[in-house]
Amino acid sequence: MTSWTRSAPEMYGTLLRFRLRRDRIQLLVWALVLFLMMYAIVADVHTTFGSDVERANTLKLLMTTPAVLMLRGRPQGLSEGDFVTTTGLTFIAVLVGLMSTFLVVRHTRAEEERGQTETISATGAGRLTPTLTVVTMAVLANLMAVIVIVLACLAGGLPATGSWLLAASCGMVGLVFAGVAFLFAQIMPTSRSANAWSATLVIVSYFVRGVGDAAGAPHPATYTLTPAWPSWLSPIGWAQAALPFEPNRTWPLFVGAAVFLVLTAAALAIQDVRDVGDGVLAERSGRRGGSFALRGPFGLSARLQRGTLAAWIVSVVALAALLGGLSGVIVTQLSQAGPGVANAITEIGGARGTVIDAFANLGAIFSGLLAAAICVQGTMRLRQEEAAATADSVLATAVGRTRWMLSYLLVAAGGAVASLLLGGLVAGAAAGGKGGGFALWFGAIVWQIPGVLLFLGIVAAVFAVLPEATVAVGWIVYAASGFLGIFGSLVGLPGWAQKLSPLAHAPAVALPDPSYTGGWVMALVAVMLTAAAVLLFRTRDTKPVA
Amino acid sequence: MSSVIQAAALQKHFGKVRALDRLDLTVEQGEVHGYLGPNGAGKSTTMRILLGLARPTGGAVTVFGKDPWRNAPALHRRISSVPGEVALWPNLSGGGETIDLLVKLRGGDVKSADYINARAALIDEFQFDPSKKARSYSKGNRQKVALIAALARPAELYLLDEPTSGLDPLMEEVFTAHVDRIGAAGGTVLLSSHVLSEVEKVCGTVSIVRAGKVVESGTLAQLRHLTRTSISFDRDGLSESALARIPGAFDLAAGEGRVSFTVDADAVPSVLPALGALAVKGLQIAPPSLEDLFLRHYGDVLDPVGA
Repeated sequence: MTSWTRSAPEMYGTLLRFRLRRDRIQLLVWALVLFLMMYAIVADVHTTFGSDVERANTLKLLMTTPAVLMLRGRPQGLSEGDFVTTTGLTFIAVLVGLMSTFLVVRHTRAEEERGQTETISATGAGRLTPTLTVVTMAVLANLMAVIVIVLACLAGGLPATGSWLLAASCGMVGLVFAGVAFLFAQIMPTSRSANAWSATLVIVSYFVRGVGDAAGAPHPATYTLTPAWPSWLSPIGWAQAALPFEPNRTWPLFVGAAVFLVLTAAALAIQDVRDVGDGVLAERSGRRGGSFALRGPFGLSARLQRGTLAAWIVSVVALAALLGGLSGVIVTQLSQAGPGVANAITEIGGARGTVIDAFANLGAIFSGLLAAAICVQGTMRLRQEEAAATADSVLATAVGRTRWMLSYLLVAAGGAVASLLLGGLVAGAAAGGKGGGFALWFGAIVWQIPGVLLFLGIVAAVFAVLPEATVAVGWIVYAASGFLGIFGSLVGLPGWAQKLSPLAHAPAVALPDPSYTGGWVMALVAVMLTAAAVLLFRTRDTKPVA
Repeated sequence: MSSVIQAAALQKHFGKVRALDRLDLTVEQGEVHGYLGPNGAGKSTTMRILLGLARPTGGAVTVFGKDPWRNAPALHRRISSVPGEVALWPNLSGGGETIDLLVKLRGGDVKSADYINARAALIDEFQFDPSKKARSYSKGNRQKVALIAALARPAELYLLDEPTSGLDPLMEEVFTAHVDRIGAAGGTVLLSSHVLSEVEKVCGTVSIVRAGKVVESGTLAQLRHLTRTSISFDRDGLSESALARIPGAFDLAAGEGRVSFTVDADAVPSVLPALGALAVKGLQIAPPSLEDLFLRHYGDVLDPVGA
């Protein structure tokens, strides 16, 4: 028989087990995803770039136009391990970073928002113990990530030391962003904003080191590249600085660990002095009178999502501007490389067009993926409103099922279409005649619209049929499509697997002889799925989470 | 002219659980109808079906003679409702944005002077701060948002699902006064509650629901007939045999201090002469309360030993 009083460490252990239990499926999925992605990258390098000669040729081309490195990584040598690091490290690091930020916000600000922290803090657990268990959990989750990444590398036959360092630098990135998320969870009053800010910083740090790599100084003799200063601003840049497999430097790991400790300590210090339930940034006071815009279901949906929507649109436009602008840089770098090399590079596109064409095509797919997130998130909002029972509040008024559903679907679709139109305009303008021309970029980006709307149709259909699964299925479909569509070719997946992604069927307007069939078919399927979803929703009960 | 609400053999199954098990409910025009039952009896499920948010598994239901599932938006223009769990949008302000929005969505004109005055009066009566974001409201304040939105614009039917939960007694009084006002003006109200005193105070007719079935329904007067009036007086040395002569007395309990018993409601006049003959002191006659009625139906649930 245990005694009635439990010690603090016991309480800590209880909470930690409770949290791990709640997350066991999610963590397992992350472990599986990380293992498979890492293994796919290693296996592809092994088969496609098996010999030193093949790797040397590719690296030479990459280093002639470092701008292309933005979406890959920093060349650091010829060995298989080095090549894997160049192509895969940044991508895996982003995944680990996102895993960490979502995990932290889920257990801190989101719990606080739902009032669960209030319940836990009212027990003997105390003020800091609940957060300390999340710190432990973040460390454990990243440890898990490191182990599965190492296993994937070793399974692919890479040297042990380099594999450990590669995995550890990804884990370091995860910890830094866990610290970032801890801090945002203290500052932001809502879990939505805390999640948005931390996840955005992960993506921004990917592109910041991308700019560093793109503007770096290549050393063709050693197949290495010294990144420009922006890379030092990015934790992912620090991870690259560890240079796994070749020099194997460990000091960047300590930089990351120190940043994690400082950020987490700051978060705990804030937590210790603030009220449970408040953020550092207080909620603004609202309007006393109703606003003109807020007069119907569409106004409500737009009002609820305006912040998120604006952020997404700015992101798509910023990405498009960056990629369009880079295309000019690539052309400059090509011309400086001398006519011989330039021709050689242009030829690797072969039947699939020039390097610029390929770059514009990839840039358009990236823009499409980002815009698809607007559709996925906007459509999921249907389920979030239903679960919170606020959907019932609207449906108990003179607003019918169809109008309510369309108020969210049309706002999501409108946001996605607007972002791609604006993105196309900006990318086209930034690229100019030198970077492939306005029509090339604008067309390539705007033709992403049908595929992007297909995401909306898919999530809406899930919402109508399996409402409880909407959010999970939505993000899984999104992540899988993004991976298959963008990295499918990078990691050498078979064609049929790549074609599972809507992104793979967007008309490749930037490439020669594009086929538009995929675009029209996807547009048709999207409309049919959405119509079916609306009809099916009209036949089921609303299911708020009691 | 059909009833405002008519449900016959209404069924709602969630898997194997029968939330509503052939429930019959009739609410006539102008009634303030109490819908009484313990937690989990099926009150909220009934309300959700009446609002077209859930579809019955079987049986027939009409609101204003129409199917609430098929005609939800049109019917909702004539209905004001307060949900069992008030859910608000955390980042909208409670007053300006949420209340006005809900009224507008119901088809109301928030620019009309009537509405503006009614809203201002309600905000004042309920002592409500409309400018805060909904996130920061307590349970009682969230309830006030729903109540003000429901009461600020006249409706033909009010569907109120446990409308006073979270309100303090003063605010309950304010709410009661408004239901009285609606009843006096000929409005129809269906008010679900597990608080007997509240229903007794404002409702003319009552249905008692238990395990998905309406077990008792009628006017308060009719229902009172179903239970006995309790009578008590000082013992004051009266003998057992004298007490035994009181006609129609049930559950006679004679302690040292007080004597108490119950009689059928219509037997009260015939008991009075006997009490007069005994010259009783400190006489108290309590009419049957809904609580007695309620306990009669739920006695076995509330007190499984059987009192």
